[in-house]
Amino acid sequence: MLIYIIILAGSFVFLTGSALLALRWALRTGQLRDSRRTALLVFDEDEPVGRMTDYFPGRPLPPTDPASPSISK
Amino acid sequence: MNSQSSPSLRQALTPSDNDSSPERKALLAEIDASCRRPVLFMFANGLLWLMAGTALALLTSYKMHSPNFLADWSWLTFGRVRPAHLNTMVYGFASQVAIGVAIWLMCRLGRVPFMQGGLVVGATIFWNIGVTVGIVGILAGDSTSIEWLEMPGYAAYILFIAYALIAIWAIIAFRFRRERHLYVSQWYLLAALFWFPWLYSAANMMLVIDPVRGTVQGAVNWWFAHNVLGLWFTPIGLAAIYYFIPKVIGRPIHSYFLSTLGFWSLALFYNWAGIHHLIGGPMPAWLITVSVVASMMMIIPVVTVAINHHMTMVGHFKKLKYSPTLRFIVFGAMSYTVVSLQGSSMAIRSLNEVTHFTHYTIAHAHLGVYAFFTMVMFGSMYYIVPRLALREWPSARLISIHFWTTALGILLYVVPLSVGGVLQGLAMNNPDIPFLKTVELTKPYLVTRTFAGILMTVGHTVFAVNFVWILARRRKAYQPPVPFIAAGLQQEAGAQLGKDI
Repeated sequence: MLIYIIILAGSFVFLTGSALLALRWALRTGQLRDSRRTALLVFDEDEPVGRMTDYFPGRPLPPTDPASPSISK
Repeated sequence: MNSQSSPSLRQALTPSDNDSSPERKALLAEIDASCRRPVLFMFANGLLWLMAGTALALLTSYKMHSPNFLADWSWLTFGRVRPAHLNTMVYGFASQVAIGVAIWLMCRLGRVPFMQGGLVVGATIFWNIGVTVGIVGILAGDSTSIEWLEMPGYAAYILFIAYALIAIWAIIAFRFRRERHLYVSQWYLLAALFWFPWLYSAANMMLVIDPVRGTVQGAVNWWFAHNVLGLWFTPIGLAAIYYFIPKVIGRPIHSYFLSTLGFWSLALFYNWAGIHHLIGGPMPAWLITVSVVASMMMIIPVVTVAINHHMTMVGHFKKLKYSPTLRFIVFGAMSYTVVSLQGSSMAIRSLNEVTHFTHYTIAHAHLGVYAFFTMVMFGSMYYIVPRLALREWPSARLISIHFWTTALGILLYVVPLSVGGVLQGLAMNNPDIPFLKTVELTKPYLVTRTFAGILMTVGHTVFAVNFVWILARRRKAYQPPVPFIAAGLQQEAGAQLGKDI
């Protein structure tokens, strides 16, 4: 039984250890710097900040949405 | 594809090959086109399993209050149908859709087209063969009887190989990313893709292939079952939430710092929490105590994620009226907060004494896997599918029906069953109440659950109809989806569609 407990505890340590190694890599490569720029990575020139990108088909769009004039025709 | 966009495995794992290459970030339409076949194929298969799993769920639920129903056919006895439902949903539907969403997100965030889509389609077929073999094995009476791992060992081998063949290409998409900086969703996805094979293989080796003996089985079982939710489904669900809320409302996440804090605290604490399911069991006390502490520590990532999502949405809640994706995703995000705090509270020994071995745990599991994860996956599919099929969803009404039947259905499932579970636990702890009475008092809550299941079945059916409809419409007159019109990309989308047809 002891060997199985050790294997199980080893699995706990392995999963946590892998997270710690990844954190070390992230710190070394500067992944955790410049959070403002990183937060903008989901946007680009085609789907920029400020534009809603999902709608119910065929239903009226929100009046304040910048894309609405071209769609409400 | 040139050699850069279609690397061999060896090239993909050799850092020097990539560093000197020109890093043109791929267009969204280019990425979507590369993901079309594998991701839509996974979604289609996932939906088939969702419908099969729903039928098994209804049957299971009905049998809980009418045990004689279809009880004469061994294949449809409760002890087989229930695990068949669980495994169908976990491996057939949820995992398959999750991998599809993960691949699409990984390519979008890495700004790189998906490579070797044909190979992944082949591996997905292999995965579905594995699930079919496993489910037939369970129904035929070959279940392992280990919760969340009921599939016979021969099916587990197929699933593991298929997963490796699929996941390796998602990792390669990450390795060849053209955006070097990582968004928080990529952290979650990478972690999930790395953790799942470890969990699955370690648990199978210790429980199915060369089973450990005694109470350690319980420890390994709950380490696996709890972590499948926390280290496989949860990271992929959160990755989707962190991508889609900002994307849909057009506003960056409230605090990127909080999002990273949430990820790293989940990575450090979650994997220790599962053994709290064995409070009161014959386990080493320190093992359970460590789990109780880890469960409490999980409040840190949950609260940081909840604050971050809420603050991002502040001022944008009215957009829920206009976006199907946002509705499902926000519902899922709110459910994540509730189910996680509930999970931490269930590690408190005094509460656990009441809720253990009751329907409260079943309600909790469905709050996590369905109200949180499945709703997030539905929302993700509402966003992704029109971009891959280059068609708008055919029916807004069906989307509304899908949302309201599933949202009300899961609430009608979870709330009464939780109440019934607590009453059941209190009754079971009272030595003056005969055990049969404790069973009978749960019956109204079980009947309510069947009605909730019918509601959710309606939702799944209309979603499946809408999904088949959007794919079937591809060859008819071209109408670009609303988001393409909004972004002025209709010509690009049309060109892409023409190229593919």
